[in-house]
Amino acid sequence: PVLPQGWTAEKDFKPIGSLSAANDRNIEPVGHHFLAHARRKRHKRTFSEDDRI
Amino acid sequence: MSAENDPAQRVAIGISFGNSYSSIAYTTGEGKAEVIANEDGDRQIPSFLSYVGGEELHGGQAKAQIVRNAKNTVAYFRDFLGQEFKSIDPTAAHQSAHPVQHESTVAFKIQDTEEDKENEVTVADITSRHLKRLRQSASDYLGKQVTAAVVTVPTNFSDAQKSALNKAAKEAGIEVLQFINEPVAAVLAYDARPDAKLADKIVVVADLGGTRSDVAVIASRGGIYTILATVHDYEVTGLKLDQVLMDYFAKEFLKKNKSATDPREDTRGLAKLKLECEAVKKALSIGSSANFSVESLVSGIDFTATINRTRYDLLGNKLFAAFSRLVLHAVEKAQLDPLDVTEIILAGGNAHTPKVAATVGAAFPESTTILAPSTNPSAINPSELPVRGAAIQASLIEEFDLEDIEQSTHPMVTVTPHLSQAIGVLCISGEESSGIFHPIVDAETSLPVRRTAIIATPREGGDVLIKLAEGSRHIKVTKPEPKPKKEKDEDDEDDSDEDDESDEEEELREKTWKVGKILSEAAIRGVKKGGKVEVQINIGADLGVNAIYREVGGKGGVRGIIQGSKAANGSA
Repeated sequence: PVLPQGWTAEKDFKPIGSLSAANDRNIEPVGHHFLAHARRKRHKRTFSEDDRI
Repeated sequence: MSAENDPAQRVAIGISFGNSYSSIAYTTGEGKAEVIANEDGDRQIPSFLSYVGGEELHGGQAKAQIVRNAKNTVAYFRDFLGQEFKSIDPTAAHQSAHPVQHESTVAFKIQDTEEDKENEVTVADITSRHLKRLRQSASDYLGKQVTAAVVTVPTNFSDAQKSALNKAAKEAGIEVLQFINEPVAAVLAYDARPDAKLADKIVVVADLGGTRSDVAVIASRGGIYTILATVHDYEVTGLKLDQVLMDYFAKEFLKKNKSATDPREDTRGLAKLKLECEAVKKALSIGSSANFSVESLVSGIDFTATINRTRYDLLGNKLFAAFSRLVLHAVEKAQLDPLDVTEIILAGGNAHTPKVAATVGAAFPESTTILAPSTNPSAINPSELPVRGAAIQASLIEEFDLEDIEQSTHPMVTVTPHLSQAIGVLCISGEESSGIFHPIVDAETSLPVRRTAIIATPREGGDVLIKLAEGSRHIKVTKPEPKPKKEKDEDDEDDSDEDDESDEEEELREKTWKVGKILSEAAIRGVKKGGKVEVQINIGADLGVNAIYREVGGKGGVRGIIQGSKAANGSA
């Protein structure tokens, strides 16, 4: 949508709400995307850190 | 550590171990899964063992023994493994060696040595002998000793069953690297193809096997799979389809030979009838008619007949419809609608039957892809799906230490939060003040996740407000049409309907989105005429959101952080 007149926020970003609670589910430990996820989790890396390696 | 267990020396294959058939596969140097044929040339190796004068027969040769040597032939034993005698259903094994109680487990009384006496052989030993033969076939083919495997199991296989299978495999000289679920293996077999595109989708794997049918609804999100629901059925099966043909041919036989005994009432007649009917069923999956021919079916009378596919489709109609209901039931159990289903993967030997694919396909909207040989030229052989998936997984983890595999499988999987609502941005609509929900991350996506999308801005450009919101999917039923058509009605009361103009993913077209909580607002100033905005959102496991908005081709951009409601669970 078009920005309404007089809309302001610090650095043009205004947080309003937060996400609804997530469901805990099992993901299947299969495939190389899972292995990448496992690797990130074990080394506590984020996506962008992982990209750099 | 012995050489056998050294990951560097490992030769790993994929094994699919079924009640009716088993198969073995390996991954080539180029990363392509290949199913291995045994020395009889079978890729689908019957899970049968038979003993004749102390000699062990396996696979197809053992299956043929069901006619002359039924009581020394063991079949349909996978589901007995790791089970208490009273909890098993011995129906399928009725025509071969009967299971008997042996201490707390199940055994078979068979004459498996040259001596003229019956031995009680436990189902664990039978499994181990069967796996040993599979391992041997794979080793002979590959020219090196197979030492490890990834084995597929049904989703409702208990830990006791898995540990019994693990033990039996060890006895057979196979180190089980990992047990993977059959339906997930099937999805992996498709996703690992070089031409496969990873997408966020809901996949239903419908496996119509010999003694059981299993349906699983899986959320596939960027190559990570989550099982949402499973359904198991022991009534709608391939053996029942064989029965339908057996009844048909037995009646035809009796019509032609008025005074003969019913072949179904004669043990050998029944066994011959059964073997031939399975062959007829397979032939009908390929050709439009098939020959039934058995020498000396009963009372020394030969019998030949033909059947065409139309007749078979009619005979099996009830079972096909029941199977289709089973698939719908699984979708319902996952609290989804058939419209949410992107793909249905038909697996299991009976998925070769064209009518199975047609019946299941008819229950789903046209937007759903049915992956079966008769509906899709790129479909993989349904019998080979699980084993291919297992072979791919085996090649991925072959070089890992067993400890590593265990560590990164168990605690990792259980703690992953999944989004309960889709998250997206409000896109331009007819009205400038409100927007249409454009999902970026679907519900049931595991966290953390990162997704990028490109959205259109108002035609005239200028300053743009981007609202990040949660959305929930609703199914709008437009009457008199049973389901909403692709073209949208402009004058519909509900103005938050289809979002086809900005969205390329066709699976969303027939669904509607209801905008939920607004998460944040951001402004991008001075967007060019017809400019597009790139939105990247990162959602952490703590439900924190990191959003970046940038005009395509522009510099700078806006970034913002929404604090997670859930505290990050430490450094664990």
